[in-house]
Amino acid sequence: MPPVSRAAHDGDDVRAAAAGDRRAFQRLYALHVGRVYGALHRLAGYDHARAEDLTQDAFIRAWQKLSGFRHESSFGTWLYRLAVNVALMDIRARGADPVRVVDDEHLPDSGETPFCAAERHELEQAIGKLPPRARAVLVLHDIEGWRHEDIGDELGMAVGTSKAQLHRARHLLRKALGENS
Amino acid sequence: MNEFEWRRQLRDLQQPQAPRRDLWPAIDAALDPVDQATMLPPARAPRRRLLAGMAGVAVAASLLLGVGAGWHAWFAPGTPAESAHATRHASWKPDDPRLAGAAIELDAARLELQLAIEQAPDSTALHRLLRHTERQQAQLRQLAGHAS
Repeated sequence: MPPVSRAAHDGDDVRAAAAGDRRAFQRLYALHVGRVYGALHRLAGYDHARAEDLTQDAFIRAWQKLSGFRHESSFGTWLYRLAVNVALMDIRARGADPVRVVDDEHLPDSGETPFCAAERHELEQAIGKLPPRARAVLVLHDIEGWRHEDIGDELGMAVGTSKAQLHRARHLLRKALGENS
Repeated sequence: MNEFEWRRQLRDLQQPQAPRRDLWPAIDAALDPVDQATMLPPARAPRRRLLAGMAGVAVAASLLLGVGAGWHAWFAPGTPAESAHATRHASWKPDDPRLAGAAIELDAARLELQLAIEQAPDSTALHRLLRHTERQQAQLRQLAGHAS
């Protein structure tokens, strides 16, 4: 019997869930919650309670929007983007850390490397302490692998601003890790 | 550490992660009032969501209590003592007084429905109402968790 791909399973469950089948939606939840929660946990600054709230919101929103899913991308990709969007909307709604363009004179020297003996936990803690928008840009670009164009679209900022925020976030992160080590 | 190693270490953080608790029961409970064709307003504030949830639970509890009581009266008349007993003894009561009323009503509704099911064990409508009530109770516990 040939193996059935994960995408094929997803497709059946997505169609069933869009027709109101909760068990199918529960299977989709079980399959994808790890990726969604992981991304939202990072975007929420490693705050478990907030990441759980955001994950719940993301799956509820996905349930609402399933009928509009056109199968142009994989369900996992669609859900992941939707979940990240929920987190970014939360950051925008909180209005914290308004976007500022960093003056070039105050940008750190790219040769600085205070990030020497950082352990994973220490790194996560330092990321968690970054200002929300700077953290969002750093997580999306340096961890999730997004392009500045996509980050700018999602966060409603210019590409240059996204780059400046990334520079700022890296600088703050290196500074935090340097001070701790 | 050079720039390459720094980037690699950051990229290594991109891993799936399981939540500390199962989020499905709360999601499942929240899907109840959700109409798939209707969009929720985006990013409601937690306080507003809590109040909206409390109002929804209270309305649902009242409806269920009424339906359960009516059904019980129809199938098993003459048991007011049991009914009063059920109403008085809530098995779980949140600290928040705004939620406590809904908790008592839901618990009473659940007990009424259980009594009615004893009279009419094959009633799918009663079983469906009972499941609905239990989901509402789970949702209320979730709301109480957020409120505390």
